[in-house]
Amino acid sequence: MMAQATRRWIRQSAVRIFAQEFFEASLVEEGAGEYDPSFVVTKLGAKVNRCLVGGVIDRIERREGDSGPYYSGQIRDITGAHYFSVAPFQPELHADTEELLARFESGDRFLMLMVGRARWSESEDGGIFTSIRAEDFTIVDNDRYKGWLVEAADATLRRMDAHSASMVSDLNPAALEAAGVPPDLVDGLILSRGHYGDFDPEGYRVGVLRALSLASGRTDSLEPVAPEPETAQTRPTEEAGMPAGPIDASHVILNLLSTKAGELVEYDALVGACTSAGASREAAEDAIENLRDVGGEIIEPRFGFFQLLQGG
Amino acid sequence: MTEEVRYANQIAIVKQECPDADENDIGKEFARYEEEFLIPPEDALRSVVRKFQAATGKEVTSGTSAPARIEKKVNRFSELGADDRNVSIEVAVVTYSPRIQTVRGEERQVAFGWIEDNPWESSSQRERWDFKDWGEKSESLAPGSIVRLEGASVNEWNDKRSLNINRTTRVTILREGGPAAPQIGDEPQSISKASEVEGYVNVVARILTTKPEVIVRRDGSGQIDVTRGRLADPSGSIGFLSWVPFEHQEGSLVKITGASVRKFRDTPEISINDGTVIEPYHDTAFPDMSELAVSTKSTIADLRNGMRDVGITLQVESWNQRTFTSEDGSQKVVRSGDVIDPSGRCRLTAWCEFDPAPGDFIRIEGGRVQFWQGSPDLVIDQREQVIDLSDPPWEKIDPEGHWIDLDLTSLVNGGSRRGIRTSGTVVAVRPDSGIVERCPECRRVLRDGACTEHGPQRGQEDLRLRFVIDNGVSNASLLMSREPAEAFLGLGMDGVRDQIASEGREGFVASLRARALSGAMVIHGRTIVDDQGAMVLADTAELEATSPSEAAQKVMEKWGVVL
Repeated sequence: MMAQATRRWIRQSAVRIFAQEFFEASLVEEGAGEYDPSFVVTKLGAKVNRCLVGGVIDRIERREGDSGPYYSGQIRDITGAHYFSVAPFQPELHADTEELLARFESGDRFLMLMVGRARWSESEDGGIFTSIRAEDFTIVDNDRYKGWLVEAADATLRRMDAHSASMVSDLNPAALEAAGVPPDLVDGLILSRGHYGDFDPEGYRVGVLRALSLASGRTDSLEPVAPEPETAQTRPTEEAGMPAGPIDASHVILNLLSTKAGELVEYDALVGACTSAGASREAAEDAIENLRDVGGEIIEPRFGFFQLLQGG
Repeated sequence: MTEEVRYANQIAIVKQECPDADENDIGKEFARYEEEFLIPPEDALRSVVRKFQAATGKEVTSGTSAPARIEKKVNRFSELGADDRNVSIEVAVVTYSPRIQTVRGEERQVAFGWIEDNPWESSSQRERWDFKDWGEKSESLAPGSIVRLEGASVNEWNDKRSLNINRTTRVTILREGGPAAPQIGDEPQSISKASEVEGYVNVVARILTTKPEVIVRRDGSGQIDVTRGRLADPSGSIGFLSWVPFEHQEGSLVKITGASVRKFRDTPEISINDGTVIEPYHDTAFPDMSELAVSTKSTIADLRNGMRDVGITLQVESWNQRTFTSEDGSQKVVRSGDVIDPSGRCRLTAWCEFDPAPGDFIRIEGGRVQFWQGSPDLVIDQREQVIDLSDPPWEKIDPEGHWIDLDLTSLVNGGSRRGIRTSGTVVAVRPDSGIVERCPECRRVLRDGACTEHGPQRGQEDLRLRFVIDNGVSNASLLMSREPAEAFLGLGMDGVRDQIASEGREGFVASLRARALSGAMVIHGRTIVDDQGAMVLADTAELEATSPSEAAQKVMEKWGVVL
C-alpha cells in the first residue's frame, strides 16, 4: 500500500458490483487534493471510483445537452438496474453508443459488460443518486456474462465477509487489518460504518446466490430474447424469482422514501427503484403521480425531487 | 538554414527565461553546443538558459533596470537563481518545525523545514532545500504532503539557497501528507517501518557491516570520505551511508537518533550526517550477529534496484561471456547469464572470472542489484563473492517450465520480476494498439513521424497491443510486443496491416475490444513495477475459457456458500 501512496496517478481498479449495492449507496468521498479521486462508498464498504458492471440493456436514449448530445441508459443485472451515461465529451464512444441505440430501438436486447466511473447527483438535502459514466463497454455472450456474475458474487461475498469482521472489531485501520479485513476495504468500511445506520448485509446475499446459481447452470434461459421489448423487460425478473403478479409500484416508492428518512429522492431514482423491482416504467410514473396528487402521501418540494409527507 | 530558424523552439524557451537575450546570440550558442560540444539542442537547453540568465543577470546588477516580477515557473530548484521572486514550483514537504520568533518587536510564528523538488519522483532524483515559512501556513505544509507554491522567493545566504514562503504565497495541496509523513519524535522505529518512510527516523540496530568508501564529486571538485554498511534488527536490515566519521564496530548495538531515510533507486537507505546522534545501546535480549545475518538472505523475488550486500542462493540456467572495448580502449570481458531460484528468475552479471555451467548451484554474498531493461540484474565484482554449492539446496528446477504464479495484487505491490504467470480481466483496450512506427535509433514510438529524442525519422513498422488488466483490487498495464501479439491475434503483422487498411485503426481496435474487453487474460512474462504503476510484458497471453459453472463452484467453496 505504501508504494501506491507515493504514485501520482494510480489507476483505480474496477470494483465488481451488483446494481443493488451500488444503487443503495448514499455516501461519497471527494478527494481533498487536486489529483485525488472521488468515490462512492457502499454499505458494504466498497470504495467505488471505477467499476465493472453488467446486465441486459434496459433503456438507452440520446439527449441533447448544452454541450452536445449525450446518452443515458440503464443496464439491469439480477439485483437491479445501473444507470449509465455517455457524456458529450466522450465522442470516441458515441459511434458505438449509437449502434447500441439503433439495436435497442430496433427491439433487440443484449447482455453488456461496462467499465465506468462512479458518478452521483446530490439533492439540496444531501440525497445521493448514484450512476455510472461509461468508459468502455462491449456486448457479451451468455458465458462471459456469467463469468462476470461469478466475479461480482465473489467480490460481494468478500465485502460481506469483511463487513461482518468489522462488526466485532474496533473501527481503526490496525484493528480492522488484524480482524482480517483486506487492506483495500479498510478505509471504506470505516467510512461506511460511520455513515450508514443498521442494515442487514444478508440482503445482498440473495443476489449473490442467484448469480452463483445461474452461473452453475441451474437456470439456463438467461439470454434475453428479442423482439418484444415488454417481454424482455419483465422476463428476467420473473426468472429471478420475484413474486408473481403485478408489482405494487406505490409500495416500492413509499418503502424507498421511508428508508431515506426525509432526504429528497430524485424522480429517476424512484422510477429506477420500481423498474428494479420489476414494475414497468409507466406504472412507476403513474404511481408517483397518484401518491403525490391523489393520495398526498408524498410531496415534491422541489421539481423532480420527492419525500414522504411527514408528521401528517 | 540559419540558426534562428533551426533552433526556433529552443530559442523561444530561452527567450521566455531571458527576455533580454539576443536571438541571434542564442542561436549561435545552440549551434556551438551541437557542433562543437556534440550536444543536441534539447539537451543543451538548460545550459544555454543558465548561460543567458547569468549574462542578463550581470546587466541587472549594473543598474539598468529592476528585474520584472513576472512569475517564474520551474520544476527543479536548480533552475532558480539567487534573485528569483514570485517562483512557482511543486515540492514535497519533508519536515516542518514551527518556532516563535520575534520580528520587529512582535512575536510571530515562523517555521523552518526541508522541501524537495521533483516531488513525484523517488527521493534519489530530488534536490532538498531549506525553507522558511513566514506566512503561518502550517496547515497546508504538513510533512509528507506535496504542494504547489506560487509566489515564493529565493533567499541566498552564505552561498546556500533556500526558499521563503511568504504571506502572499499561495499553497495548493496536491497530495495530502499521507503515510509517508516522517515521524518526529524520540521513539525508535523498527527497521521494516523505517524502510517505508522517507524523512527522519530513529532506530535501535546492530551494525552488521561497515566499510569505508570514497565518493567522487561529479563536478570534479574533490572526494568525500564516507562509510557504508548495513544495520539490522529483528524486523529486517537496511543499508546506511554515513557522511561523517563513523567509529562504531561491526557487531555493536547502537541507538541512532535523527538519521534520515532516503531512497537510492528503489532501495531505502539510512543517511547519517552532522545532526545524527549515535550512541551505544544496551539490550541483552537483542538478537546477536548470527541471528540477524539471516535477514540479509534474499530470494530473487525480494530483489530491488539499488540493493547491496545481497546474499542469495541460485541455480544457473545459462551462461555467456562477451568481450568489448571499454572507454579507455582496453579489452574487457563481461560474463552474464540467467539464474533461477524457487521464487523466480533474473539475470546475473559477473565482472570477474566466473564460469559456471548450466545447472550449477551457487551461493552469492555481497552482491548488488542494478536494473537491466527494467528487471533486476544481480551483479558480482569478485570471484570470492561466489561459493559453489555441492549440496543442492533444492531439487533441480527445470528452467523451461519455471513460471511463478503471481496474483495481480502481489505483482503490483512487489518488485520487478521475470518468469511470472498472472491473470486479470481486460478492462481497457488502448486505442494506440496496432501497427506503430518506431525510431530506428532508439525504438521509441514515433508521433507524427518524429521521435521525441531524434526528430523526424523514417520509422520502422512494429506491432504492439496495449491493455489494462484488473482483478477488482489491483490493475496493471499489459503490453504485447509483436510476437505475442501475432500469436494472440492469430494474425501476422501483414494481416493486421491489411485489416487496418480496410477498417481503419478504429475498426481494428473495435474488433480487438469486442474480443478482449471483459475477458480473462492469462499472461506469461515479466513485470516492471515503478512509481508509474505496474506493467506486464507478455511472452505469451491468451484469453482463458473457464466455464462459469466451474468458476462458480470455486467461489462457493472459497466462501462456504451452499445453494
